[in-house]
Amino acid sequence: MPDMAVAESLAAAAADVLETMFFSTVIGEAPVSATPPADAVAARLRFSGARSGVFTLRVTEGAAQVIAANFLAEETSEPTKPQVEEVVCELANMMCGSVLSRLDRGAHFDLGAPAVADAAEIAVAGAVSRAFDIGDGEVAIFLSMDEEP
Amino acid sequence: MAYRVMIVDDSPSMRAFVRRVMDLSGFEVDTCLNAGNGAQGLALLQQAAVDIILTDINMPEMNGEEFLRRLEEHDRYRSIPVVVISTDATENRMQRMMQLGAKGYISKPFSPEALREELERVLGVSNA
Repeated sequence: MPDMAVAESLAAAAADVLETMFFSTVIGEAPVSATPPADAVAARLRFSGARSGVFTLRVTEGAAQVIAANFLAEETSEPTKPQVEEVVCELANMMCGSVLSRLDRGAHFDLGAPAVADAAEIAVAGAVSRAFDIGDGEVAIFLSMDEEP
Repeated sequence: MAYRVMIVDDSPSMRAFVRRVMDLSGFEVDTCLNAGNGAQGLALLQQAAVDIILTDINMPEMNGEEFLRRLEEHDRYRSIPVVVISTDATENRMQRMMQLGAKGYISKPFSPEALREELERVLGVSNA
């Protein structure tokens, strides 16, 4: 599958999920940094089926706080770290499902459970990636497809 | 009319979000039961009746597919309409869940209006 088609699906899925479910607007594209901020929050999940691979989401701390607060409707207090991590996992889950459905709506995919990942150890080499500015920080997404047998 | 709803999802934040979106959409909720997986959902149904169930698919202990199978096997629960809420928008998954007994399916992301429309369609509520 051409990387351009994958990258377009990543962008469309990110904007759709962020705006519809997390009330955050993509302002524009941002460069994908190979060395993320130390305080970034990341989540990762594996998928299998018609294609298999790994979907990874990395969100800067400020953006993660706002996304979590929006999703949880927290108006009086800041979300706790576990809440932020749970929401980032949920965001990764939704984005991955949205991307795969866009790539092949007629295919069958199984999504694994998303888990918090070490943002500093995310391998970006070989992955199709996009990053977005949402005003309060950046959201970067990485899709790595396994080699077809 | 206000409805008795059960939300089955292993993510507490997602359950709270779905409840909030129902309220935002204008869908009237009388009572809302929360379960973390299908097994908890079945246990709650022994204690309280509901008008509609919203369930995730990927959950620990008892996932959405097994939950639907168990509901279909049960005389009292078979008639409760179930709407699946999932990140998976593929046709295969939708058809599989409908074959297992789901009456509705909504994929994330969804708007409040889309959720309300699907719930009302499944409940047979007329907007006329």
